Amino acid sequence: MVKSFVRRAHLYSLLGLALLLVLAACGNGASSNSSGQTLHVLVLVSSNYPTQQKQWMQQIGAEFHKLTGANVAWDTYSSTTEEQTKLQTAIVSGSGPDIFGLGTTFVPTAQATKGFYTLTDADWQQVGGKSKFFPQQMTMAGKSPDQAIAIPWVMRPFGMVYNKDLFQKAGIAAPPTTWTEFVQDAQKITQPAAGIYGTEMDPSDSFDTWKIIWTLSKQLGKDFLSSDLKTAQLNAPEVANSLQFWFDWATKYKISDPNAMSWKAGDATRAFGEGKIGMQLMVSPTIIPTLDKAGLQGHYGFVPMPTIPYGMQQLPANGLPVTSIVSGDMLAIASYSPLKSLALKFINLITDQQHQEDYTKIFGDLPTNMAAANDLASKDELIAGLVKAEAGATPTPFSGSWASIQVAMAGVCSKIANAVATNQYKPSMIQPLLDQANQQIQSQLK
Amino acid sequence: MDFFKAHSVVLIVPGFASRVKSGIEKAVVMSITSTPQDTPVPVRQGRAAQIHLALSRSWNHRPLWLLWPGLLLLVVIIGIPFLIAFYISFLSLDQYSLRTWLQAPWVGLSNYVATFTNSSVVGSSLLASLGVSLGFSLLTTLLILPIGILAALTVNTPYRGRAFVRVLYLVPYVIPTFVTGLIWRQMFLNGTGLVDRVLAALHLANINTYWLLGGNSFWAMVIADTWASWPFIYMMTLAGLQGLSSEVYDSAAVDGANFWQKLTQIILPQLRNTLALAVLLSTLNHFNNFTLPFVMFGTPPPVQADVLPLNIYVSSFQLFNFGGGAAMSVFTLIIVLIPGFVYIRSLRLNEVKAS
Repeated sequence: MVKSFVRRAHLYSLLGLALLLVLAACGNGASSNSSGQTLHVLVLVSSNYPTQQKQWMQQIGAEFHKLTGANVAWDTYSSTTEEQTKLQTAIVSGSGPDIFGLGTTFVPTAQATKGFYTLTDADWQQVGGKSKFFPQQMTMAGKSPDQAIAIPWVMRPFGMVYNKDLFQKAGIAAPPTTWTEFVQDAQKITQPAAGIYGTEMDPSDSFDTWKIIWTLSKQLGKDFLSSDLKTAQLNAPEVANSLQFWFDWATKYKISDPNAMSWKAGDATRAFGEGKIGMQLMVSPTIIPTLDKAGLQGHYGFVPMPTIPYGMQQLPANGLPVTSIVSGDMLAIASYSPLKSLALKFINLITDQQHQEDYTKIFGDLPTNMAAANDLASKDELIAGLVKAEAGATPTPFSGSWASIQVAMAGVCSKIANAVATNQYKPSMIQPLLDQANQQIQSQLK
Repeated sequence: MDFFKAHSVVLIVPGFASRVKSGIEKAVVMSITSTPQDTPVPVRQGRAAQIHLALSRSWNHRPLWLLWPGLLLLVVIIGIPFLIAFYISFLSLDQYSLRTWLQAPWVGLSNYVATFTNSSVVGSSLLASLGVSLGFSLLTTLLILPIGILAALTVNTPYRGRAFVRVLYLVPYVIPTFVTGLIWRQMFLNGTGLVDRVLAALHLANINTYWLLGGNSFWAMVIADTWASWPFIYMMTLAGLQGLSSEVYDSAAVDGANFWQKLTQIILPQLRNTLALAVLLSTLNHFNNFTLPFVMFGTPPPVQADVLPLNIYVSSFQLFNFGGGAAMSVFTLIIVLIPGFVYIRSLRLNEVKAS
């Protein structure tokens, strides 16, 4: 009797397990893309316009359904960290979003994973052809023109915002075009007793760090990687000089807030919004609504960053006048997705002229659609300036290790900031840190 | 028939029947209480042997199938991921090989060697991180232990408003860790944060003292975690206190014992096992705390606050060194197992003593 009871119990357990497995399988089936013709799209969440983004998603979803009969299921990420994690999870599991909205400088790393479709000429035709898109953005679409994986969606040129009132008070007529002028202007603006500083630093930020040091290094004539992408050059003298110049703002010229060593980009923007900063660097047009909301509307200007290195009258021999980095969002189709054709139709929809112009009007990001960019530039002076800045933007090296390089440079800056904060900083500490970073990155290059 | 015999043996062990949990077993036990003649215990066997026999027989005939769901979950949630992590720790797995990770190059112990010998430019080395984690978890546990015990004592006996105080005590514990991290980050901001303002007003420190960078970052993390986690010790202690007989207190009072004597000679000795478990769980919890330092400092964190979980996260998911991250994870698991092993061992020793 007992044996039969135990046998029955085992049988029920197995049946329960089987039921669980069936339910799990059904669960997968319910969310399957192919069966329900539902396109899963992952994009960056808009922290400035959350309500408008939801409305935009609903509108695009409805239009896409009308056009193709398929539905759109949206997913969002709020930070680059989350973007990386979601991408890694999808690549390993072979399931997840059909379309990934990727930050432009993350496209090389995404391509290195081999988890995305390489776009053919026929694919490009389905989204309107390569000539539809802004040429600078196309430089980051893939490791070569015939091996592109990403389609440009929106672009965000970088520049500098300056406080017109503080400039006027300091008797400065125009924003600086050289780093020497920049330091001089910042010194004129700085009034430590009033908590006002000529510029800002955010060495604890994960991304502004590499952007600023890379821009300064390029202006001095050196990239973080050799042109064949096989040799790390993070410990080059130009990179070390760039780092030292940046930290000189706090330690030598005293033109940034002494509390800024722990700042991230948001802290710098908040200080600028409070009218305590003369010039904030490496900002995109997405800062405009934040500053307007802070009550600075009409009291600030958006201009390109200086290009002539400190102490020089002109660019050195190999120096490039880098005013902006090719930046924005691109769309890539996961290679596990069975809905490639549907995905291309979706991308074609949101990159057409009308939708691109509408998107810019709502969110402030510039269109990558050439016709839309030119049309908006002809009507709006600010956008015309931004489009011009993007035309001069420089692409970062297309290396699968670029994401690691960003993190490594953030690590170097974090350690220097740590030393500055605890009064232990010496310029001589820069080179060993860069040597260590270089060695670490070199071991990852393939 | 063997099944019934086994359970009749159970009855001869004083107090053992209380360990019988299933309804089936209870029914069986009740049905055989009137058949003591079916309990063949050899006369020459000692008490320990009787206990051993009872345990082994009852174990053999318990409805072990009830363990299946738990075992299945353990295998799926812990076993398989651990085996995968262990396997990955021998691979050169990065962004280039992520998609076909099973075919990633086998590198033997290289990842283990590298994690012990190479130091990353981002954050600390593995051993430095281990030091930070050990210091953080032990120090925080040491700090919250007296706070939690004292808090539990304040609400152990009934008084007006006790329920409100009990709820108040739980507030830090129920706040999500990321919210705690955000709040304390704002409070520790140099120059503008509440901590610097208060210290400056009291002339104890410069208003521009850094708490999120440098050596102070470690203390900032300890303070924030102490604030958030002491209610755990409080809850464990209170649960233990509620289980103590009031007669013990009464007789101690009759003997003229003061508060300190009651605490050190009556309460704490009786709570020893409960507190040992609380200290173990608390230490492990602090050791594995990822969210608090992640939110307070972001990445890369200051080297002084680069706890092991954060270090592993940055290595694996931001530097795409999944093999190295897995090796560090295996190492961490071994470290974490040590106190657990010691605790289980001490429990077994206690059981033997009790029997």
